[in-house]
Amino acid sequence: MSAVSIWEKMLNIDRRWIFLSIGVVSIVPFFINFGMPVVTTDEVEGIFDYMDELGPENAIFVSFDFAPGTQAENMPMAIGVIRHALHNNVPVFMTANYPLHHGMMLAAMEYILNPNTIGYYQDVPFDEWSDLRESGIVARDDLEEAWEGQGNQLPEGALGWAFEGRDYAMLGYAPVFNLVILGMTSSIQTQYPVDTHGNPTSEMPMLQEHKNLREVDMALSCSGSAACVWWVTYAREKIGLPIAFGVTAVMATDYFPYIQTGQVIGQMGGLRGAAEYEVLLAENGITPSTDKAFTGMDVQSAAHILIILFIIMGNIAYFAGGFHKQKTLKGRG
Amino acid sequence: MYETLGIWAGAFFTLAIYSFLYKENPIYRLAEHLVVGISAGYGMAVTYEITLKPRLIEPLLSGDHWVLIIPGILGILYITRFIPGIAWLSRYPIAFYMGTSMGVAFPLTMKASVLRQLEGAMVPLFQEGMPWYTSLGNVVMILGTLAALIYFFFSKPHKGLFFGTGSKIGIWIIMLGFGATFGFTVMGRISLLIGRVQYLLGDWLHLIE
Repeated sequence: MSAVSIWEKMLNIDRRWIFLSIGVVSIVPFFINFGMPVVTTDEVEGIFDYMDELGPENAIFVSFDFAPGTQAENMPMAIGVIRHALHNNVPVFMTANYPLHHGMMLAAMEYILNPNTIGYYQDVPFDEWSDLRESGIVARDDLEEAWEGQGNQLPEGALGWAFEGRDYAMLGYAPVFNLVILGMTSSIQTQYPVDTHGNPTSEMPMLQEHKNLREVDMALSCSGSAACVWWVTYAREKIGLPIAFGVTAVMATDYFPYIQTGQVIGQMGGLRGAAEYEVLLAENGITPSTDKAFTGMDVQSAAHILIILFIIMGNIAYFAGGFHKQKTLKGRG
Repeated sequence: MYETLGIWAGAFFTLAIYSFLYKENPIYRLAEHLVVGISAGYGMAVTYEITLKPRLIEPLLSGDHWVLIIPGILGILYITRFIPGIAWLSRYPIAFYMGTSMGVAFPLTMKASVLRQLEGAMVPLFQEGMPWYTSLGNVVMILGTLAALIYFFFSKPHKGLFFGTGSKIGIWIIMLGFGATFGFTVMGRISLLIGRVQYLLGDWLHLIE
């Protein structure tokens, strides 16, 4: 029985040691902050700059096209862009293309409007400002002034008010979503007569000002599937609506061609893309600090270094052990 | 109380799924089956609550939108798949859906995913005032696209200068693409792990913010 060389041991290492190493490396950087910088890229800056030009007279769509499985990557992108919109008082329509994605939309708004979140927005539900609406006060600045004139004070820690129906509308899930996008090019209200909370969309000032996708300025698809292309196919190509992508890292390379052709204005790829948007928000004073995506980037870097080391070690063992001259590794049949 | 219970349940099932990394076990199986069952149940509840009820049942019951009876009947015909004698009726809604989807999608998809991409590949290799790196990028893109297409051209043997060399360059270009995709895939998988670790250390154990 021949002795097993160190190279052979290395190549046949129990994979559970590798899982354990990745696990340790994914935990330690949360406690020891390396503070590795996140450099922003043109693709993400393109979305940020475009968003930053918009104001209360504009409107955007944020489409939740992802399930809990890719929440870690897609959620920070959606949250970042919605916070940017709320800061600039840009009305945000939110949609979902699948029942599970509807839950992601609810979770995102729960986070943004939660007083425990650093830099949250104080929610004003649709019914609570019905008196102002009925008296014709719907312009964003007038509305805030009138609301505060009624004795409402912005709580400490809140970055601003979020008036449902003026600043945001949770339209939610609708079946056969590609046809819903197509339908919204003519009328949003026919596709969504009521929002998630049962509020009639026809009474929402933001919908009265932006009746269809032709009157909207951008759609961001935060997607864990090819559904993001629906926005290009049915909205960009039909009516020229500017589209931005927030896609998982796995999908990122597939959608770079859409940037090169000018069909999308920018793309956030994976957690890294979301972290870049958080950096831009914090650097421009839109949020008081970066958020979860940025925090995860130290871990990401550490894990990547470890994986690179494993690949190098594996190759050294493979060639030093002479296995490139053999058809199979020992012990692997 | 309910929120705390939810967080503990989330933490338990996260650890249950990761226990598979050690070895297959009944706790992992339980979590796996629950994911499938709960996802389906949640999907049904959401579909009923925000689609069927407000968009079909309530308008029909109000008596104002009788035209909705047509999509309603078409939808019900799907269920006939479970009744062997009349299962053929389910072909009608499928045919309707496929026909409309094809009709609507074909011209726009051709434009978005084929014609625009072709247009994007028709760029000048060099023109006055163009930076050298843009010119180089355009050359790499056009030659890379052509070489990759040659690799997938199987009607001629991959021999000679055009087909032989072209397909060899093509496979290198494809491998570079795979490499970039693999790198992004590793990043994506680690990102998902980071999300779970943030949940466990933050939401559950409150060790990080």
